[in-house]
Amino acid sequence: MLFSGIPFLYFFLPLTVLLYAIAPRKCKNAVLLLASMVFYAWGEKRLVFLFAATIFMGWLLGFPIEKFRGRALGKVFLWLSVLLDLGLLCYFKYADFFIANFNAAFSLSVPLLHIALPIGISFYVFQILSYTIDVYRGSVPAQKNLINFAAYVSLFPQLIAGPIVRYADVADQLQNRSHSLEGAAIGLRRFLLGLGKKVLLANVLGEVCTDFRRSTDGSVLFLWLYAVCFMMQVYFDFSGYSDMAIGLGKLFGFRFPENFNYPYISRSITEFWRRWHISLGSWFRDYVYIPLGGNRRGIARQLWNILIVWMLTGLWHGAAWNFVLWGLYFAVLLVIEKLGFKKVLDRHKALGHVYVLFAVLLGFVLFNAADLAQAGQDILGLFSFGRLPLVSTEALYALRSNGVVLLLAILGATPVPKKLAAKLSESKHGGRVFSVLEPIALTALLLVVTAYLVDGSFNPFLYFRF
Amino acid sequence: MKKTQSIALLSLASLVIFGFFAAFLFRTPGDYSDAERRALAQMPAFDTEALASGRFMEKFEQYSLDQFPLREKMRTLKALSVRYLFRQKDDHGLYTTDGHLCKLEYPLSDQKVSLSTQKLREVYEAYLRDSECKIYLSVVPDKNYFLAPKMGYPAMDYEALVQKVQRDLDFAAYIDIFGTLSAENYYKTDPHWKQETLLPTAQYLAAGLGVRISTQYTQNTLDIPFYGVYVGQSALPCKPDTIRYLTSDILDGCTVTDYDAGKAKPGVLYDREKASGKDPYELFLMGANPLITVENPNADGDRELILFRDSFGSSLAPLLVSGYSKITLVDLRYIRSALLGSFIDFQAQDVLLLYSTTIFNNNISM
Repeated sequence: MLFSGIPFLYFFLPLTVLLYAIAPRKCKNAVLLLASMVFYAWGEKRLVFLFAATIFMGWLLGFPIEKFRGRALGKVFLWLSVLLDLGLLCYFKYADFFIANFNAAFSLSVPLLHIALPIGISFYVFQILSYTIDVYRGSVPAQKNLINFAAYVSLFPQLIAGPIVRYADVADQLQNRSHSLEGAAIGLRRFLLGLGKKVLLANVLGEVCTDFRRSTDGSVLFLWLYAVCFMMQVYFDFSGYSDMAIGLGKLFGFRFPENFNYPYISRSITEFWRRWHISLGSWFRDYVYIPLGGNRRGIARQLWNILIVWMLTGLWHGAAWNFVLWGLYFAVLLVIEKLGFKKVLDRHKALGHVYVLFAVLLGFVLFNAADLAQAGQDILGLFSFGRLPLVSTEALYALRSNGVVLLLAILGATPVPKKLAAKLSESKHGGRVFSVLEPIALTALLLVVTAYLVDGSFNPFLYFRF
Repeated sequence: MKKTQSIALLSLASLVIFGFFAAFLFRTPGDYSDAERRALAQMPAFDTEALASGRFMEKFEQYSLDQFPLREKMRTLKALSVRYLFRQKDDHGLYTTDGHLCKLEYPLSDQKVSLSTQKLREVYEAYLRDSECKIYLSVVPDKNYFLAPKMGYPAMDYEALVQKVQRDLDFAAYIDIFGTLSAENYYKTDPHWKQETLLPTAQYLAAGLGVRISTQYTQNTLDIPFYGVYVGQSALPCKPDTIRYLTSDILDGCTVTDYDAGKAKPGVLYDREKASGKDPYELFLMGANPLITVENPNADGDRELILFRDSFGSSLAPLLVSGYSKITLVDLRYIRSALLGSFIDFQAQDVLLLYSTTIFNNNISM
């Protein structure tokens, strides 16, 4: 089920909110668990039992890991948990990738398994791992209550596309969280803004990208337009989803970690990755990079660790070489920055902005390619002045038709609208106007989004495929 | 967030969310969308098999979209947002220019044009090659031809389409009617052309076919507002068109036979009953129909015309009737070409292949 779908907005959400509101405090997690399972089963009817079994195993293994913490047996149980969860991820997500490469390397023809990727597996596996590792480290106690644990893993707001909420982030809130009108309103506002980002910006820009792929009227302008539109689409799609998740969490009394912080205003790739998919970056930092030695074992080892972490980050996004290359591409940029380029960027801020936008744009062209051949073709095409027409009818039309949406997206990717809203709400007269207008504007936004959804437009979430 | 602000937001948003939720529960589902001219999805059966297969979820999503309360108003809100809020130039390919609602017909699909001409060539090979029929070809431009390039919208390469069609159907003599038409010949809200403006086109065609046709007609106006097919698709508020149709003593004396479902039954040139239905353009020769004959007992000679046509032919054919003793209209979208021999004896008639650019570009067989 999609947040940006009529069944979610006008059936699932009101029913869940109603049930949650009338449920006694001690039953609220059970209501959330039930709702989350329905939410998951709606889109993944066959693998819902696998999902439940994975949760159960994660919960069960927490006890021996805690009991034997500091002893060899504790480590055995931790490794069992890691192997089970990563094994599951490898089987469903990477089996065919490995087989295909094995076949190519050894000229074999081992048949592919063609396994459907369970929705959200990359997210919930990482959440369960964060739990068992944190229990092993002694950062959190094992959760005794299966319902609370299952509610944590399956919590529908963040179940299928993050942010990756670690158990430690919400352990207390699972048992003891407060609800207020203001909290609910803040959550609702965040949800509606995320919904607007997704439906009105990401989906519309996504259509430009789809039109580009369908077109036979290629040109350099069309390639650049596609690259910029995809860069904006992926940001508004994913950050919009994160906003909706965080907002829904708030509606039910949870505080989820932030996942995006205006990444396109960064002045270095190092900074970009502190602002983009923050929960994934910090997960890899805490559970891979630091255990590998981080920056504590000399510069050579640190650079090696960066390469490993970013190769895994790329692979996490998809079982294809363009994702691996995408991860390594950022690893190389991060290494170059570590080796001194970051200091140059710090001195020349404008250069930093241009460099980040350009590097990220190229990165996303690589990211969105169907394969390496298409990636090469697209990237070369961006600079094919002379070989491709400079402009084409379709490119000009797409630019003219989507110019306003693109400008709104570019503006929305900066903190300017947020700052303006804050300034207005803090001023004496503006504050009054803002407090009246904001609820009306957000409700109008909900209506416009609903109108777009009813009209049945382009709607898939990009991060579902991960 | 201030308390009053919080209460206002929660109240307003709840009103929308719970309001639509309640409306879903209590409203009677609609069966048919007049605007879109299609049946609406109904609440799917709730059983374990449908749940396990995922069919229930898929169908429920379609149901929730089709049966959304105030659906048409919401579609209008979307169309207005696209146009005025985001200033996009089209919505689902539909755009407004010069007072016309149009649908982008772009780009030219060589493959689909080939499939279309292949279909016509099959008819030629099966029935016409060894006959004494004189074969003509004419292409009806869709209204994008006149409006899209002028207003900066992409348009297919019409010249290339016509050249390809002529090349592929080289057994037919081409009659170019593009020059006899302009945007004014088309309804504002519909892709079709207006019969009352087609006399110069009909005369030009008739000259190409080598027949003389009457120019004396009485113009009649249908007292039903004509909201063309693009009104429903675009969901934009529009003024209706007016359908006018031409009658004469010759036309009144004609006998129309409708061979729908394979059996001959009496038909009419102008079907006022159908005109008050879902699509008033069906006034002309009863709308979509695989095979119709129009016999003209007052014809000067005994020349006959076999018109392979799409819906544009329905409003044009009456204007050619005076030049022929019999016109047989064939719509290959609704009849298999293998069956034609059972209904038509191809001997020495005139044969006109008259199709619109839209049909050529979207495969005649579809």
